[in-house]
Amino acid sequence: MTVSRRAFVKSGGLALFSLGLDPLFLGRAAYALRRPTPSSAALVCLFQRGAVDGLNMIVPHGDPLYYRERPRIAIPAKDLVDLDGHFGLHPSLAPLKSLWDNKSLAAIHAVGSPDSTRSHFDAQDYMESGTPGLKSTSDGWLNRYCRHDQEHADTAFRAVAFGPQLPRILAGTSPALAIDDLQAFGLRVPQEGARDKLTRAFEELYDGAATGLLASSSQEGFAAIQVLKRVNPAQYQPANGAAYPPGRFGRSMLQIAQLIKAGVGLEIAFADLGGWDTHINQGSSEGQLAARLRELGVGLAAFAQDLGEGMRNVVVLTMSEFGRTIAENGNSGTDHGHATAMLALGGPVNGGKVLGRWPGLDPASRFEGRDVAVTTDFRDLFGEILARHLGAPDLGAVFPGFSPSPQRFPGAIRV
Amino acid sequence: MRLRVLTVWLALALPAALGAQALTPRDSALHALNRLAYGPRPGEVDSVARVGVMRWIEQQMAFERLPDVLLAERERDFKLLDYDREELAQRYGEALRQRREMQREMARSGDTTRPRGGGPMRELRELGGELQQLAVVRAVLSERQLREVMVDFWANHFNVFVGKGADRFLTPSYIEETIRPNALGRFEDLLIATAKSPAMLFYLDNAQSVAPGSSPPGPLSALRRGGTQRRVPTGINENYARELLELHTLGVDGGYTQQDIIAVARIFTGWSIDRPQRGAGFAFHEWAHDRGEKQALGVRFQGGGMEEGVRLLKLLASQHATMHHVSRKLCARFVSDDPPDGCVDAAVDAWHRSSGDIRAVLRAIFTSPDFWAPQALRAKVKTPLEFVVSAVRAAGAAPDSTLRLAQVVSRLGQPLYLQPAPTGYPETQAQWVNSGALLGRMNAAVALAAGRLPGASVDLDDVVAATADHALLVDAVNARLLSGTMSAHTRAVILAQLADVNDPVQARTLAVGLALGGPEFQRQ
Repeated sequence: MTVSRRAFVKSGGLALFSLGLDPLFLGRAAYALRRPTPSSAALVCLFQRGAVDGLNMIVPHGDPLYYRERPRIAIPAKDLVDLDGHFGLHPSLAPLKSLWDNKSLAAIHAVGSPDSTRSHFDAQDYMESGTPGLKSTSDGWLNRYCRHDQEHADTAFRAVAFGPQLPRILAGTSPALAIDDLQAFGLRVPQEGARDKLTRAFEELYDGAATGLLASSSQEGFAAIQVLKRVNPAQYQPANGAAYPPGRFGRSMLQIAQLIKAGVGLEIAFADLGGWDTHINQGSSEGQLAARLRELGVGLAAFAQDLGEGMRNVVVLTMSEFGRTIAENGNSGTDHGHATAMLALGGPVNGGKVLGRWPGLDPASRFEGRDVAVTTDFRDLFGEILARHLGAPDLGAVFPGFSPSPQRFPGAIRV
Repeated sequence: MRLRVLTVWLALALPAALGAQALTPRDSALHALNRLAYGPRPGEVDSVARVGVMRWIEQQMAFERLPDVLLAERERDFKLLDYDREELAQRYGEALRQRREMQREMARSGDTTRPRGGGPMRELRELGGELQQLAVVRAVLSERQLREVMVDFWANHFNVFVGKGADRFLTPSYIEETIRPNALGRFEDLLIATAKSPAMLFYLDNAQSVAPGSSPPGPLSALRRGGTQRRVPTGINENYARELLELHTLGVDGGYTQQDIIAVARIFTGWSIDRPQRGAGFAFHEWAHDRGEKQALGVRFQGGGMEEGVRLLKLLASQHATMHHVSRKLCARFVSDDPPDGCVDAAVDAWHRSSGDIRAVLRAIFTSPDFWAPQALRAKVKTPLEFVVSAVRAAGAAPDSTLRLAQVVSRLGQPLYLQPAPTGYPETQAQWVNSGALLGRMNAAVALAAGRLPGASVDLDDVVAATADHALLVDAVNARLLSGTMSAHTRAVILAQLADVNDPVQARTLAVGLALGGPEFQRQ
């Protein structure tokens, strides 16, 4: 089914119904031609820590070598969700198929780092600092983006990482919040009256006696508490019957959706999910990797459903430090490889395509004879999204020593 | 003898002479306790003022002579200190072996569940947590405060990341054997010790930096460790060389080139680590060393084997750029985020004169007019570690030996030994001050005052008596916990908050929580 975006908009809602599409995406299609306004555009980055097997996530089933190299763990063609005759989704990602069909989901294959390291630590570090090969960079590229983009006010919720600590990717001098749980943000006093009283007391203390950064940061913090009081995270109900998966990842996605809907100025959100380091028994259509992908797929689909037409200004990007070996290993798993696949989801996404130049699995085109070669430097993908989705004015400041070039952009964002 | 006379002269003359504008003996005692120590314990400002602040500083410098009985007792709780590097290496090797075994078993049985948290590596992860807590406990309890501050400074300057592979078991001995014995010694010795430390060699990848084309004697399988097929290293790795020049010694503007980095990396080829089964100590692999000629910083190196690296480290330690870079960072720690040139120049002069005696450099900073200038007072925002430790000390609380207090420090933004970047944590406030972190500090302060801070037990009766007289209470909180720094505004706000609190104990909890969570206590 290939229907151009233009046809979507012209044909209107009834046609969409007749195509069997979820009515939720009416909104997205109708807004498809409107550029997101910079002030409300949001980017959600999801880090798959541990190196996801891109080949079993976005499966090159049209390549016989794929089945030859993976006799025990390849995804059988009958189980796949075919995308374009050559690539298919892992069956656990089936909830994303409708998003693919309405062209708000794209995959970018053979993306990765120019650095050859196969150390999780180093590769994650490089992907978060945005300076592959250079260890001494102390801040992360998302933080540098916030610092150099003066268009946006630094509201307390401009950049939020969901987790107990601020990840490397958001570390730096621009304010960024680490929130483990939105419901616990603020002063932790069980009784509401007492909590409000204590909050006011601290607010007065800092109003009157704090100077410099202490003063401005505390003001932001108290403003954020006020905002959350209005938003009331404890009472949140996802819209459109969206059902998030249980667990930390699902809760993070739910709370990101909530912040976006509340209009609190959220521009950058970050969450991570682990368990991708599948050296042993990674499974095929079912098993270890399938379970992790199911959580990801259900979480992403619920997020898109919950936001509904709000997705028109949102891009969700998955990333992982590297991919895994083309051939399965002796333990029915895969070892550390090189390029992997990433997913981009949202209204601004140039969806319904597998983007990036596919290098193939042929031994001659492999990296170091064994891994999928990198044909898209991750900075070109990240840079494209910052520039075309968030309107970043100066990518050189975000990725020092590298100039992302529109000629090399994989084309993840519609222009 | 002459040194002693000089010291006495300094003790008597300096604070008065240098800080003549404003500093009372109590002001200077508080300033010294904030910067050279993790803040005053109740009554400590007065006791330091009585001794004389310069004399107290000299006592802190000569820390070997300070008894530290309480801490020595507490250190017995830490089983980490019972293991030396070789034992830890054996445990690590054993854990790796068990994990391989478990993986083989899983592969055989077709079990597709992921190995969960437990398992063979668990003990090593726990040791990492113990390491963090040990740092917090030492900072709270030690009488040798300046030494603990300097251990923190150097462990951060020569940062390693305890979460990276073998550094899980290499970091404890790095702290105990590399950093602590050299924290107030000579910079050159410290630099060489870090260069030879297995933790640093692993963290910055020098352990696998080899001359191109070289290969180890014996079967290749010896290099395949950990069950994963690790590639045999095939060439030089520049990581250590680059950070050595940029971060550890010369500084980013230290006048070196990419060619220097490559030459330095070649000089250090062969500096590596023994296998875990053999203790994982420093090993120089002759076979991996690049025997060719190198030109680094305008000096020729050839044919020296391992000695080339030692020569280079000595050369780096004696460079003016190194002295300036490290002195400036010390002044950023002790004086202000953007320190004046005066104290930096004084530190560099002392470095030249003493050939890098760290105590001499520190003494120059602590006797510099910039250190005692009124604008330096409370000019620095506390790091999360400094905030938590100083609050625990101010409240007369005792840390337990669990990981919980270290976790508080982590949640406030400074997980110890877990900074992945070799830069370590910055010495400036922007890293620590943001809205979420400040709310975190307020929560920690309120929890501590209520006796609910995880990992710390507190008895406020020992510090401030509960009283129904709110003015008296707030004055006591100011005197005992804030050392008299409470502003009139803060005093008024706390008193207003207490207005409808009738229970004296509740009033005290509230007053202490607001005082420790308020703006004055965030500064030092």
